[in-house]
Amino acid sequence: MSLLKPFSKLPGLNTANILLVESEEQLQQKLAEALVEETAVTVNVRLAKSLPLPMENEEHRPRIDLVVFIINLTSELSFQSAEASLKYLDPGYFLGKVCFTVTKARNASVPTERLDAVRKLAASLHCPLVFAEDQTPDGVTSAAERLLTILKVAAGLVPMATALYLSNLTRCTVPPDIDQPSFD
Amino acid sequence: MDESIKRTMQRLVRRIPNQLLKPTLDKWGRLTAAQKQSLDFTQPKWALTERLLALCEENEWTAKHIIELEMIYVIDNPNQGMWYAFQLMDPEDDAASVELAQFKEQFKSHLRELVKHVSVKIKKHTDEAVWIRIAWGDGFTRPNHLKPTYVVHHLQTPYVFVSSLTSKQKPLLSQALVLSTRYNVIKDANLSGRKLTAIRDLLMRQYQQVFPTKFPSPLTEKNETVSNPCIEKEQSGAAANRLQMACEAFGDGELPQLQSAVYKLETKFKDPTNKTMTEQEEPFKCVIKFASTNLLESLKQCATSGIASTPVTPLLSSIPLKGRNYFVITDNGPGPTTQMHTSQK
Repeated sequence: MSLLKPFSKLPGLNTANILLVESEEQLQQKLAEALVEETAVTVNVRLAKSLPLPMENEEHRPRIDLVVFIINLTSELSFQSAEASLKYLDPGYFLGKVCFTVTKARNASVPTERLDAVRKLAASLHCPLVFAEDQTPDGVTSAAERLLTILKVAAGLVPMATALYLSNLTRCTVPPDIDQPSFD
Repeated sequence: MDESIKRTMQRLVRRIPNQLLKPTLDKWGRLTAAQKQSLDFTQPKWALTERLLALCEENEWTAKHIIELEMIYVIDNPNQGMWYAFQLMDPEDDAASVELAQFKEQFKSHLRELVKHVSVKIKKHTDEAVWIRIAWGDGFTRPNHLKPTYVVHHLQTPYVFVSSLTSKQKPLLSQALVLSTRYNVIKDANLSGRKLTAIRDLLMRQYQQVFPTKFPSPLTEKNETVSNPCIEKEQSGAAANRLQMACEAFGDGELPQLQSAVYKLETKFKDPTNKTMTEQEEPFKCVIKFASTNLLESLKQCATSGIASTPVTPLLSSIPLKGRNYFVITDNGPGPTTQMHTSQK
């Protein structure tokens, strides 16, 4: 079992590498296609169902600058899989190089507790939480744009900004009354 | 004209959708060219029905003609209603040499011996299937043409497909079938579905199957799509392996469309954390039903995407393997049952 480390390899020139982790492999591919459209920097996308990543790819895997966990809110399995995968990340990643993306949050069959659980998880790890629409091409592109912004910073391509600095501004916070019953 | 003929005709025309009415009538070939011209297919259904009833009177069609029309429609559109599969067992020595004329004659005479008022019509379809339409009556009433039973049998195969059969008629039909096909036993094949073609393909294994192999399969080459060099899958080996396993269990290409699978559990409750339930002597009875428009395709998808564990549990893979979609599961008991696996899926 190998931990994925953020600084074990040298960065490439003008490249940013992103790892998308999604247990259901639905949004992953579409998002990857939207991400590589970017022309200013070379974006390499690695797709995985869960962590740990297989050992045999270790050699030619580039340095991963940002890890994105995609969670489908309609499925408990998706959340559990993401939670289990977190163990295989080096703590260094949690200084701004991990991001959670939630899909299908508008679906009526989503229990509210699950969204709260995801928010608590993201907040406890000091990670940003991005909501994405996976049904329309527009939704996928806008999700890709938001991830690109974070990715560029995490890869060190934006002068004067670091991942840790950005994450202080974008990290998910949980309102203090989340566990209180609401009276509306 | 007989009232019952009129009703049957009315009912039949109502069943046939507008766009199929013309081809079906053409195929029937009982209308003269002039009569065909006079029918206006853009008219609403009730007006057409009125016109056809008038023609019915004019041409003096009898029940026989109407049955012909109905059979043409049903044979061309077999994927309606519920179809149940039955299997013939223990063939006699001459079972393999039963031919159509002999079967027809035998079936009719055997059924007539059992029921006095029954109307049987047998037709051979182009794909070697023998279609039998039975309108049942009893000792006092004439055959009811409004609720016929359809039976489809492929000669020289041990399978029979039946739709709309009541439990009262089942023993009669079974006996006539067993005697005329020269078999000894007929039993329920535990397979049913809305599509006759699908359950036939499943039982006769007429779908694309994949066999286990230890050599690299051609599947990897087949699914290779031109993808961006910047996108790479980390676990592609595992995904290909899952796809291979799923195809081995459920077959490749287009799968027969089944609508449901039912598992009746008669097993003891097993859960180490719940002591009161586990200690009960009585089996914990429950029924699990999977339903989908294309069940096998959905199950295959579950296995390829990793939602269901691979290798596919024998409970799911025995649907295509054994060709049945109704299972009774007991705790290692005797009988035609599958072993218990509650932990998976």
